Amino acid sequence: MIFFDSLFSSNDFMPHGFCYLWKPGLVWLHAVSDALIALAYFSIPITLIYFIRKRKDLPFNWMFLCFGAFILACGSTHVMEVWTLWHGTYWLSGAIKVLTAMASLPTAVLLVHLVPRALALPSPEAMRLEIAERKRVQEELRSAKDELELRVQERTAELRKANQDLVAEIAQRKRSEEQLHTAQAQMAHMARMTMMGELTSSIAHEVNQPLAAVVTNGDACLRWLGNEPPNLNKARESVTGIIREANRASEIIKRIRALAKKTPPQKTLLAVNEAIEEAIGLVGAELARHRVSLLKELGPDLPPVLGDRVQFQQVILNLIANGIDAMDAVNERPRELFISSKSIDDGRVLISVSDCGAGIGQGSADHLFEAFFTTKQHGMGLGLSISRTIVEGHGGRLWAMANELYGSTFQFTLPMAVAAGASA
Amino acid sequence: MSAIEPTVFLIDDDKAIRSAVKNLLESVGLRTEVFSSPREFLKGESKDKPGCLVLDVRLPGASGLDFQGELAKAHVEIPVIFITGHGDIPMSVQAMKAGAMDFLTKPFRDQDLLDAIQRAIGRDKARRQQQNEGVEIRNRFNSLTPREREVMSLIVEGLLNKQAAAQLGTSETTVKIHRGQVMRKMQAQSLPDLVRMSERLGPLPKSISPSSD
Repeated sequence: MIFFDSLFSSNDFMPHGFCYLWKPGLVWLHAVSDALIALAYFSIPITLIYFIRKRKDLPFNWMFLCFGAFILACGSTHVMEVWTLWHGTYWLSGAIKVLTAMASLPTAVLLVHLVPRALALPSPEAMRLEIAERKRVQEELRSAKDELELRVQERTAELRKANQDLVAEIAQRKRSEEQLHTAQAQMAHMARMTMMGELTSSIAHEVNQPLAAVVTNGDACLRWLGNEPPNLNKARESVTGIIREANRASEIIKRIRALAKKTPPQKTLLAVNEAIEEAIGLVGAELARHRVSLLKELGPDLPPVLGDRVQFQQVILNLIANGIDAMDAVNERPRELFISSKSIDDGRVLISVSDCGAGIGQGSADHLFEAFFTTKQHGMGLGLSISRTIVEGHGGRLWAMANELYGSTFQFTLPMAVAAGASA
Repeated sequence: MSAIEPTVFLIDDDKAIRSAVKNLLESVGLRTEVFSSPREFLKGESKDKPGCLVLDVRLPGASGLDFQGELAKAHVEIPVIFITGHGDIPMSVQAMKAGAMDFLTKPFRDQDLLDAIQRAIGRDKARRQQQNEGVEIRNRFNSLTPREREVMSLIVEGLLNKQAAAQLGTSETTVKIHRGQVMRKMQAQSLPDLVRMSERLGPLPKSISPSSD
């Protein structure tokens, strides 16, 4: 209480005006100057508070508060200067100075610490430069991006065009390939017809055989029925024979028709041995007429190949016909034609037709498979060339080689149909 | 020997033809044996049996014509009828020249084949009869004594008994007795009959071993 009493009382101190001898000019000079300073000092913190409230993003804004507090305290000391002109409360003015010192010192210390950090802050000019630089870079980036976009579009268009060209070219190639296939099929058909023309008498014989059997069985049937008493069992047997042989004739005609037909090749699962036997069935008489014995060695359990039955048989027939022709001049040894089939190593079937004829002349060997090359009086020289085309069209190979003793061997391979459907 | 029923031997490489023809022949009661090749036929003893051969011209290996030649070379005299699916004239001429009985084109009329077979079997029978007769005559001849053979050879030459006796240096009566024996043993009805038999025997040897059986 005593402390507060003495703080707020002037005791016996003389007011500060005494020092100025109460000269009104001097007293008012101090009074007005201090009052104005105080006014200014009080207004500054308000402005500062307003400022930091608006700019919350500023760094070190607490420093502004420190400044505010310090200036407010300084303002108070100037108010006290005016007050003590007339009232000697120097304890109070001293206490306010203590408060002012307490607000000022930490601010001064903090400011010292703050300076390096404040100095590290970029100057607005630097900021502006940097921002301008960034803007420029960004602009460049954007333009680069735009340019890139443009170039990507251009390139895409080019690619699309190239792609279209490619599609067109593929279509064109496909068309050409189809045309080639059609032409090849036509050639094959033509050669087949030529070959069948040469085999006409043999083919006619093959049809005639079952028909003769039909007629003879029919005659026999009538006789069995005419016997006294009629032998119905035998008559029935005869009719069975008639039906069987009529079917056989029809079957042969079907095969011939298939060979003569002009259909595009159709690849199916092909039982090699069965197809070979069928082909042989058409040339039996031709073999007999040329006194050629046929020896067969058809491998058991051959897996099927994927191929066109008609074209396959065309190749077989062609090789047989060549073999027969090759042995035409042979009289001093039996004319034997050897046909074999077997599966070899890597999923292929090897078919071989071997004769004991004159063999391939040295000069002919190179041209054997060329179109229109022939050593025969008749014939167009298409057989082997087309046979090779057919075999290669089936993914196989056809070649010829000389036998050790007499004649030559023609062999071809066909890939097995190893697809999953093969066993179906 | 001749009591065996004649058989038709059919060689054709086509099973259907074999069975059809066999069927036809059996329907008229003909014994039939079938073979798929000449080799098979030659393997058996069929070739010596009476009958005839029906042969396809085109056979595997040797042709029917070749086979016909082979048979002739081997003195197998069985009559041959050719059947063919495709008979051309040169081929049939060749076949007929080589002694074929007939040449039929498949399909043939059944009656044509049966007639041809009957003719062939008839010829075979006649040939065999003749052959048998020849053997029989030789047997009879072999039963003659050497003296009787001498007498026979003289009288078939047309000599009278007297002339023969003079040649043999014996009496006419002896020759007469021998001549009677010859006629009896040879079962000759007349002198021309005996002459015919002697012709079948060929040139008579002056002396033949009596034990030639």
